[in-house]
Amino acid sequence: MSATTSIVAEAYRALIAHLEAAYPNEGAGLLLGRGDGEDRVITAVLTLPNRWDGPEQTHRFLLTPADMLAGEQEAARRGLDVIGIFHSHPDHPAEPSGFDRDWALPWYVYTITRVTQGRADHTRAWRLREDRSGYCEDNFTIHAETRPMPRG
Amino acid sequence: MTTIRIPTPLRQYTNGQAEITVTGADVGTALNDLTGQHPGLRAHLYTDAGELRAFVNVFLNDEDVRHLQGAATPVSDVDRLMIVPSIAGGSDAELVRVDHAALRVNQATIIVLAAVGFVLDTPWLIVLVAAVMTLGTLLRSPGFRLLYTAVLKPLGWVKPDVIADNAEPHVFAQGLGAAFLWGASLALFAGAPVLGWALSWLVIALAALNLFAGFCAGCFVYYWLARFRAPGFLKTPPTGTFPGLRPRG
Repeated sequence: MSATTSIVAEAYRALIAHLEAAYPNEGAGLLLGRGDGEDRVITAVLTLPNRWDGPEQTHRFLLTPADMLAGEQEAARRGLDVIGIFHSHPDHPAEPSGFDRDWALPWYVYTITRVTQGRADHTRAWRLREDRSGYCEDNFTIHAETRPMPRG
Repeated sequence: MTTIRIPTPLRQYTNGQAEITVTGADVGTALNDLTGQHPGLRAHLYTDAGELRAFVNVFLNDEDVRHLQGAATPVSDVDRLMIVPSIAGGSDAELVRVDHAALRVNQATIIVLAAVGFVLDTPWLIVLVAAVMTLGTLLRSPGFRLLYTAVLKPLGWVKPDVIADNAEPHVFAQGLGAAFLWGASLALFAGAPVLGWALSWLVIALAALNLFAGFCAGCFVYYWLARFRAPGFLKTPPTGTFPGLRPRG
């Protein structure tokens, strides 16, 4: 049975807003949460600029080591871990490409969001296999809103 | 003994340890000792050909060893090495896609500013447009892109119009326009206003042709140069598109 990755609603809204704003370029950032256990809960996201150079940003993204270090520090400040990476595939399926695999690390959760004509419409979560041969797909769920209900 | 800090995703191969002590006189041997102690790391740090993977960055006391002497960088007992991943990815899309709405905002801005420059007889406006277009060409993006991405797109006044297309001809076309406007600026400040404004109007006319008729004259020139195998001109028009004409979405 595959593992589960879930995301709290507020974090998912921030992720979607960032990826839709980046369209037609790819957008990306870090997924923060607790790193223990097989199932992961994403409680916050850190949006980052796409550092890929030039017009290929429509099908490429890059996060630099400086971004990653800053992200780790920000996560630590919030008492969280960097547990994965999110990015978008503008007008392309939410599946990892060969290029994604070349650059992937194990253990991280990679969420990929398809953004169709500026609207995010499909998100899937993936993890690299140990032998780097491919990916396993996680069950991806979005938590219900956690805002307190007004008391009547 | 040197300490190496391991990034979170690779700690499963070091029994959960964040820091590993290694021996070695330089970065290369220190990394060798690390993968000797924890062989599971090897596949993720090195390619099958034995090269460090593109995303693996090794920092020596906060400095990327690529900017030092690479694997031959000497390390001592007090040094701290850190493995920091960079992350990249992207879809399998073949042709780059170009947001033609950003191009049209750029063309409209060029037309308006250059025309206002003519009406008010203000050569400095031509210099400004030439400078912004030059900067855009160097950054390989429409010069007035910010007006689109920071104002018109967020307000919803201009919607993205993303088409599978080559980006390079549009960059070249903008560079050509910038060159004409620099020529115009030179003429205007050298006391040849007729030549200066004629060149400015040529740029306005060609930008308007692109904006209203979807024909990019600079792209046409690019594709002809590519056809004659001019060095650096590598792209061919998208399938079924006349050179310079806007591809169908």
